[in-house]
Amino acid sequence: MSLIKLSGGRVIDPANGVNDQVRDIWVRDGYIVAAPDGNEKVTAEYNISGRIVMSGAIDMHTHIGGGKVNIAREMLPEDHRGDTVERTELTRSSCGHAAPGTLAAGYRYAEMGYTACFEPAVLPINARQAHMEMGDTPMVDTGGYVMLGSDDFLLRMLAANEDQQAINDYVAWTLNATQTVGVKVVNPGAISAFKFNQRKLDLDEENAYYGVTPRRILQVLSRAVHELGVPKPLHVHASNLGVPGNVGTTLGTMDAAEGLPIHLTHIQFHSYGTEGDRKFSSEAARIAEAINRQKNVTADVGQILFGQTVTASGDNMVQYRNADHGSPKKSVIMDIECDAGCGVVPFKYKDQNFVNALQWAIGLEIFLMVDDPWRVFLTTDHPNGAPFTTYPHLIKLLMDRSYRNAMLDTINPEARAMSNLGSLDREYSLYEIATMTRAAPAKLIGLADRGHLAPGAAADIVVYRENADPERMFEKPELVFKDGELVVRDGRIVKVVRGNIHAVKPEFDIGIEKKIQPYFERYHSVRMSNFKISNDELCECGGGTKLIPHACKKRG
Amino acid sequence: MTNEATSTVMTEVACPMCGHACDDLSVDTAGASLAVVAKGCERARSSFARLSTVGDSALPRIDGKPVSLDAACAEAARVLGAATLPVFGGMALDVGGARAAMELADQAGGVIDHMNNEFGWRASRVVQDGGGINTTLAEVRNRADLILLVGTDAVSAQPRFFERCVWVGETMFDLAPASRRIVYLGGGLDTAPGVSPDGRQPDVFEFDLMRMPEALSVLNALMAKQPVTGEAPLGIALARWQELVDALFAAKYSVVVWAGPAFDAAQLDLNVGAVVSLVRKLNVTTRCNSLPLAGNDGDLSMGAVHTWQTGYPMRTSYASGAPKFDPVHNGITRLLQTGEADALVWLNSLADHVAPPACGVPTVVIAPPSQKLDGEPHVFIPVATPGIHHSGHFVRTDKVVTLPLRALRATSLPAAETVAMSIAAKLREVRT
Repeated sequence: MSLIKLSGGRVIDPANGVNDQVRDIWVRDGYIVAAPDGNEKVTAEYNISGRIVMSGAIDMHTHIGGGKVNIAREMLPEDHRGDTVERTELTRSSCGHAAPGTLAAGYRYAEMGYTACFEPAVLPINARQAHMEMGDTPMVDTGGYVMLGSDDFLLRMLAANEDQQAINDYVAWTLNATQTVGVKVVNPGAISAFKFNQRKLDLDEENAYYGVTPRRILQVLSRAVHELGVPKPLHVHASNLGVPGNVGTTLGTMDAAEGLPIHLTHIQFHSYGTEGDRKFSSEAARIAEAINRQKNVTADVGQILFGQTVTASGDNMVQYRNADHGSPKKSVIMDIECDAGCGVVPFKYKDQNFVNALQWAIGLEIFLMVDDPWRVFLTTDHPNGAPFTTYPHLIKLLMDRSYRNAMLDTINPEARAMSNLGSLDREYSLYEIATMTRAAPAKLIGLADRGHLAPGAAADIVVYRENADPERMFEKPELVFKDGELVVRDGRIVKVVRGNIHAVKPEFDIGIEKKIQPYFERYHSVRMSNFKISNDELCECGGGTKLIPHACKKRG
Repeated sequence: MTNEATSTVMTEVACPMCGHACDDLSVDTAGASLAVVAKGCERARSSFARLSTVGDSALPRIDGKPVSLDAACAEAARVLGAATLPVFGGMALDVGGARAAMELADQAGGVIDHMNNEFGWRASRVVQDGGGINTTLAEVRNRADLILLVGTDAVSAQPRFFERCVWVGETMFDLAPASRRIVYLGGGLDTAPGVSPDGRQPDVFEFDLMRMPEALSVLNALMAKQPVTGEAPLGIALARWQELVDALFAAKYSVVVWAGPAFDAAQLDLNVGAVVSLVRKLNVTTRCNSLPLAGNDGDLSMGAVHTWQTGYPMRTSYASGAPKFDPVHNGITRLLQTGEADALVWLNSLADHVAPPACGVPTVVIAPPSQKLDGEPHVFIPVATPGIHHSGHFVRTDKVVTLPLRALRATSLPAAETVAMSIAAKLREVRT
């Protein structure tokens, strides 16, 4: 039994409506508890008066594990050379900037006060590897969103007009078999279409072989996720990423959910118009207005920040198209197992490049024009917009208008002229930052015991020294506790721990396996029994990670 | 149909004996050795039989004398603790073994280099220089209408390639498997598996494999509509080369198969780079993908873990306390020959057929009891094999699919990861 007391901190806990109130926090055996009665012995006390206290931050969209991430690592030794992590008594050596090793990623996340990270693109057939990589990412809880929508099994079901119930069973079966916490769709149907040599696929355009449209895929998957009771809304990487004028597709994608919950990811890349001499303009205002109006819609931004990074995506159609824009110019594009695909293209965002500069402004415009911090999430789509280590800088851009405007003054002047960023006065408060990086992602994913500081919560706690410069404050917390253990002090790891893995367990009719098993035997390269990951095997994949299963309550 | 509840035959067993990782084997566990009774290939049958029987009671040795596991691990730790630059070779491991090897090599300040990596690092360099466009086995099985095998017959590396990916019963799309066109580039290959089920012979472009760079140049030049000198490059009529190029452009989903060890090592970058160039040209108008055949002896399992944990591929030195990647400098054959390396750990759990090099430095061998040895090493620690004695994970040829390996029979031998972690723990004691 351990009993820890954090005394006198200024608590910011939006999930419980607590805004900068001085409170003691008690932790017993890894969980936050109410102040104990009587004379229970306190095993450790931390006087944190004057400090800001929040729950551990949650990155709800970060590419930290799986085949494409490992391709990016292999491909980019030049990324790693200047960014090594030396071995210490406690920690292993590792390296990498935009495509860090799992060890470097885990240490750095913890040192920034993050205690949970979710890999948003787990290919079903690659789920085992994704879990092994996440298992080798120390310090943080992990989970994955499984990618569906270009897998031939689903497309065959849609082409055969199978009913929603059968699709729900398949989706639930996949979530269980791959041990994931949500469902993602990437450029719906287009990864399959690319295999049939289609080079673009609009929202209402048919896959050449199956005759299925992206809209239909969005409809059935958003409905499946909703009806199964999976808390996390369908995670949507919409069609036409990066294409000037894609705002119409993005608004149409929101509509395709027909009022059901839908999450649009890295929406910055999907908020473009065709105004101006360069036929590239910001449609952030229309996107923000649509999010503000449609309460079923959430989004993360996918902010770009200037510098070298690498883009790693399941969207092989778009990545193939963009490969010539890569810097350095190299790319890996893959078709994968009648299941999905991927593309890895290094990229350097330049502040004097018109398009890059406007992308930067568009992301910030969305952050500042979406009213509700519960429905917009702080991401760079690591590493696609920028490495996750830029988050403290991004927070400063949101919290400090004068700093933001000073940056705006330095970017490509044509882009600056095309943006209304300079006229946006909003400055995020600490409470709003805590909402979008803690309370809201926990609520969205359905993590009842994370993202808040009330009794019953897991003791993932971060203590910051307040600083007039938010970047300094957020890059180096004073204390980080993971499941009640002190793991970081003054921005340095003091204890290495293994996080938990989160997976949802929606119910389904096991009869669906009568369709899936023969499919594997007739067409696949593995057997169904070897595709599925059991609870025991998951923990082995994770190197001993603890599984936190989340039950789902059916809806509709 | 066997009833698993009562039968001694385990079904849908995954096989780690080559990079194809077939997972449809039936293995009878009742006899003195494991018997592959359905599916599988000769390599699987002999490997399961041999690795399941040899020396279950083998003991660790120091200088040939039997010792306890604890004493052997302690001596291995002492050797590593005394070394300035220990090198780790062999490395035929599954994911669990590779994870432990990484922990040990990082702590020991060494270098890891898989025994197949003379080819692997060069293939990696092509990815680092330009990338590629690749596909995986199930896509080949269902979509490939033209398969071009460059310098490899596939089956020498992965015996069931044609059975499982080419001449299958049916495909998911409008493609009759028997209608696929098979083309071999290079001579001296086993082209019999390329004969279609209805007896159609494959096209074979016969030439000395050392001339592969020329052959690929001819194809790339014709694709780019550039002039090619002579009526018969490499002794083959130009018209045949042109017809192949036309067929590749006309194919809906061609696949270019290559295997690193089939190339002359010094030509590997050149050949793979030329394949990538060819594939990129075809994708401007149609679909074409490479399929590298790798993964044998767990090279991709070791390589994947190395890359994901530290960011760098193998041939990274941990000697300074931070990873330093230099694949030219850090080849362990070179480090041993120049005397830069002063200890060798030969670590295998999946393979026993390559002996550690005789190198004159203290050598620790951690391997199956049947490990081939040219001389008695200073320390020998016999270990179990994943997929036979204990569960594990194995990364397949396409770097996408990881297969679960099963424990099929009990053993008293420890797993390689147990031994490596034990040595790492003792090394920590030696150092403090």
